[in-house]
Amino acid sequence: MRSFEDDPTLSELLPGDRQQQLLQLLQVLSGRPLVLSETPLTGAQAIEFNLETLGWLHCPEQPRVQQAAARLLEFVLFYVGKYRLAANLHHDSTEASFAELQRKHAALQESEARYKALAEQLQARVQEQVQVIEKTQQQLYETARLRAIGQLAAGVAHEINNPIGFIASNLRVAGDYLGELEQKLPADQGTAFLLEDFRALLSESASGTRRIETIVNDLKTFSNIDQADFVPCDLNGLLATTCHLLQTEGQALDIQLRPGTLPRLSGYPAKLSQAFYNVLDNSAKSLGEQGCILVSTRQLEDGTPEVVIEDNGCGISETDLPRVFDPFFTTRPVGSGTGLGLTVARDILIAHRGEVLLNSRQGVGTCVRLRFPRR
Amino acid sequence: MADYLPHERKLTLKVVYYGPALSGKTTNLMQLHTLLRPQRKGELMVLETRDDRTLFFDVLPIGLRGEHGLDLRLKLYTVPGQVQHDSTRKAVLSRADGVIFVADSQPPQQDNNANAFDNLADNLQKLGMDIEQLPIVVQFNKRDVPGAVDEAELQRRWRQTPWAPLCMAAAINGEGVVESFRLLLKRLYPVLDREFHLAADEGISEDDFVRRLSALDADHA
Ligand SMILES: Nc1nc2c(ncn2[C@@H]2O[C@H](COP(=O)(O)OP(=O)(O)O)[C@@H](O)[C@H]2O)c(=O)[nH]1
Ligand SMILES: [Mg+2]
Repeated sequence: MRSFEDDPTLSELLPGDRQQQLLQLLQVLSGRPLVLSETPLTGAQAIEFNLETLGWLHCPEQPRVQQAAARLLEFVLFYVGKYRLAANLHHDSTEASFAELQRKHAALQESEARYKALAEQLQARVQEQVQVIEKTQQQLYETARLRAIGQLAAGVAHEINNPIGFIASNLRVAGDYLGELEQKLPADQGTAFLLEDFRALLSESASGTRRIETIVNDLKTFSNIDQADFVPCDLNGLLATTCHLLQTEGQALDIQLRPGTLPRLSGYPAKLSQAFYNVLDNSAKSLGEQGCILVSTRQLEDGTPEVVIEDNGCGISETDLPRVFDPFFTTRPVGSGTGLGLTVARDILIAHRGEVLLNSRQGVGTCVRLRFPRR
Repeated sequence: MADYLPHERKLTLKVVYYGPALSGKTTNLMQLHTLLRPQRKGELMVLETRDDRTLFFDVLPIGLRGEHGLDLRLKLYTVPGQVQHDSTRKAVLSRADGVIFVADSQPPQQDNNANAFDNLADNLQKLGMDIEQLPIVVQFNKRDVPGAVDEAELQRRWRQTPWAPLCMAAAINGEGVVESFRLLLKRLYPVLDREFHLAADEGISEDDFVRRLSALDADHA
């Protein structure tokens, strides 16, 4: 690249037609023929610009005219050159500034991209942290809830166990006394009728007492009063008591239990019961008229233990499906549930290194598969 | 850097007068134009100024012919000192073979001197030139102004730099101008001699170089 300060040639300073114009004017002024050449001519006068010889001016046999014309030409070239130098410098420095500007622009864009990436990273980190916090919160909630239920269940079981014990034994003794009374009373029809009714009352009460005893036992299993941490668990047994608990809790439920053979599984029985309970409770709440729940267990071909809880309830809409595991997500009216049911169930399964799979179609039903790790 | 055209036997060098605005760079050049009688001397080209300020640059070409036909030319440039003309300054500075930094001796100008010197270092770096390798002369001009910063103090401050000793000048009176220029020629010669073998191939010794480029009227007499 030519730099602004490179020495110019004659035609760079003054194009050919301009040279001729100038020469013509000089000829008119001097009345003599003049020749301007970029190559040396004998007897000619050198035309200089900044120490550089740009050309030769010749006026045959007229040294004074030649001399004056040459100086005049140099004078013109000096100012043309001055302008040319300034213009070239301006051009050079403008180009350099523009290149610099482009460099800065590129650098700016690069740093902008860097900041954007950083912002995205930060956003991702925040999201991660939020997830950690949500998870911890939910675990805390779950632990607190389990502990509260456990304590409540333990308290209730303890308080009810005693009275129910003596009620049961009293009822037995009362039955015995009734036999003795029968011997001593007149054998008329009215008396026989009374005694029969009495006996029926007693046996009804006794069966009620047994039901209460079962509930207390279920509560004990559910709250895991007697067990600590991971122990070998019988999933079928836990399922049976959980179903039982649910059935005695509220409305009449049609639950069919079809247990398959399962190996004993190392786990935390209270939590497993809680997981089953939550899934079953969801199913129960989705049921309409003629609704039923089918609970089955099996071992898959690769040995994975699986609990399947199916219902023919209202199902879950496609839009809600992706969110059913979100904490606090619920489609039921406020107050009827915590919205934690499935989340807690899934987390319990994850704690047991298992997983929860959910299939559902609106208006058809829901199928939840709880899979446990193979041994 | 020096521009050598072998087929023309032409070596063109560039010396730049750098410094803050109004420190006397143009005055230095005008004085050289008046005082010097180098072997060859062109016209001083002062690019139009506005309010007495250099807009683009000034240039004075001088030259000598070596024993063996070397056509050596030295173009002396000044740069515009004002801050806003940095791109012009950089364009003029590019490929310089030497720099004469003209500082202003008046006490209130010391910050401007420092900024201009930083700007010189900055621009040299941007142009890929090594300030340590470049022949540089630092001139403190306007010594005639009453209250000029004390010379001993200035020399002490610059003692540890590669540019000591400083040149003192009153360019307006033509004092110190030629001395500064000669000091630069002396610092420039070894660099050129190393690359172009001026002594060995061209028959130009340091003394020839300095004398023939900075001869005064008096020297011819
Ligand atoms: N007193 C004094 N004034 C000076 C001297 N040299 C230059 N000046 C003045 O300082 C002003 C700026 O000088 P000029 O050469 O245009 O400065 P430049 O901007 O560096 O080119 C002019 O008015 C000069 O007359 C000096 O040695 N002494
Ligand atoms: Mg100036």
